[in-house]
Amino acid sequence: MGEATIRQLEDTDLGAIVALDEKISGRYRPEVWEDRLNYYFRRDPEACVVADLDGDVVGFMMGELRGGEFGLEETTGWIEVMGVDPDARGQSIGRRLAEEMLAHFRQSGAHSVRTLVDEGMEGIGEFFSALGFSRSPIIAFAMDLEATR
Amino acid sequence: MKYRTTNIPEKYHSAVLKWSETYLPDIDLLLDKWEKFFPRDAKYRLCAFRELGMCDEIECGAMKGRPKFTRSDAMEPEQASHLLAAIRAQASTEFGSIQQHQLTLARAQEEEEQFWVLRMMAEELRHGYQMLHLLLEDDWSQVSNESGEDMVEEILSMKTGSHILGAFNIDFDSFVDNVVFCALIDRVGKYQLSMQKVSAYKPMAESMPQMLREEAFHLATGVVPMRRWAEKAARGDVTVTMDDMQRAINKWLPRGLEMFGDERGGGTNVRYGLKPMKNAEAQEQYYQEVVKLIRDINMRYIRARLSELSLTEAEKILEQVEADGEPVRGIGPQDLLRVPHIEFFRRRGVPAFRMIGTGGEEYADRSAYLAHLSRSLPSAYRSGRDFKTYVATLGKVVEGEMAREEAAREMPSLRRVAGVCPCSRSVRWMSEQTRPDNALTTSEQ
Repeated sequence: MGEATIRQLEDTDLGAIVALDEKISGRYRPEVWEDRLNYYFRRDPEACVVADLDGDVVGFMMGELRGGEFGLEETTGWIEVMGVDPDARGQSIGRRLAEEMLAHFRQSGAHSVRTLVDEGMEGIGEFFSALGFSRSPIIAFAMDLEATR
Repeated sequence: MKYRTTNIPEKYHSAVLKWSETYLPDIDLLLDKWEKFFPRDAKYRLCAFRELGMCDEIECGAMKGRPKFTRSDAMEPEQASHLLAAIRAQASTEFGSIQQHQLTLARAQEEEEQFWVLRMMAEELRHGYQMLHLLLEDDWSQVSNESGEDMVEEILSMKTGSHILGAFNIDFDSFVDNVVFCALIDRVGKYQLSMQKVSAYKPMAESMPQMLREEAFHLATGVVPMRRWAEKAARGDVTVTMDDMQRAINKWLPRGLEMFGDERGGGTNVRYGLKPMKNAEAQEQYYQEVVKLIRDINMRYIRARLSELSLTEAEKILEQVEADGEPVRGIGPQDLLRVPHIEFFRRRGVPAFRMIGTGGEEYADRSAYLAHLSRSLPSAYRSGRDFKTYVATLGKVVEGEMAREEAAREMPSLRRVAGVCPCSRSVRWMSEQTRPDNALTTSEQ
């Protein structure tokens, strides 16, 4: 088995991403991923990358470049969705995907990169810390509207 | 993305707007409804984009490592001639596809799909505009006697039937064609743009990134509805069946394969640093990508029809049906899409006018082959002039009156002197004019 190639996401990767998500989450949700991919294809297709190992997608990372979020006027790279095949973990695939995206954001003129991390998801915070991310003073607040009805 | 935008001189810009009034009359509607269908997406702009910060050195071919050309008159004449032909062909395809899409745009069943196609058409207009920008910004007198004005006029006066590449001279019969065309023919466009991104001519290379970004959405405009139609067909919906899609694939894929040029060619473009791949290599990659696309759609069909299946079980059924040709759990080969053989229904390149069936089988008898084509192609297409011409030319080849190579070269182009009838959106073929198709002079080298 060789080393995975990092390349730009293609429309024909949808089936592989749906399958990968199903492997990770146990849920088959093609429409969700179709909407996501279609969104990114319209916005910033070069900011979405996959790890391709002998023709099989073993990881993906999607995001985009945007400005004006939460009063942050400067153009910012956002890493929003990622997944790595459990069978391919330990091969630095997540790191290589992130490095490719960071290079794209840099080349596109972004001065910073942001993401939101679910603290309940094991290892994600550590993953971004290892990449050089640190906790931002901007923190996420949420409210359950059903509970406050 | 760092880029600069520019407009072509006012009289040409106005000419493009005037052209769009005829062939893209719904562009104002698109802009009015932009927020509804594309919230948060940057609003459409008709202008030329030039990416900044791209590679300055020639990336392939005999001149690899030398500085890229910024002016065509610094290039070798033959090199510049190939480049000019490529720009004109590219411009022709962009404007040509809008004319094709316009014929059946109104027949979409879903408003969302219609607006996706409409946006795609507007972006194709911008791509054509980008090519006009390349033609007008440089001095091409080294390789052409035509002025920039003449070249723009020639491109804007082309209609379905007189475009440079064959795929852009075939009429759409229904909205299925709009969608399958995006999935298959725009995919060829993606390959051409990707290859031209490394062009030794820097203005061409700088033009490609924004076009490629937009092209990614154009592919989705085709593939997403195809997946949705497959799921609906699996649940018994009869509005767009798998057979309808199959026939449209059979109609367009051969033309898409031919857009890469003759399988034996492409070396000159590589040598001159204009493209990194020869025709056959790019064509094979494209074909394998279509195989992957069709497999995905078939998986969507199987999982929609047998929703209790796991991914692995669905994959096994697909493999078994494809391998044995027998139904498994009620799903037979006729229920699924198939990628026609790479040599099926070809009229250009190495397999031109060989009687190859969808499965790769070779026919010795013309009648039997035509019966096979009749079963494989959309009826509306078979009743059109393009197919009639193919059948007549095939007859000459079979009777020994014309060699296959000559037939490929001499396929008559269809000229529509009266254009599109605006009230019926129908097509009236008024006359035909035979001319050697110089479409592939660039890519066949």
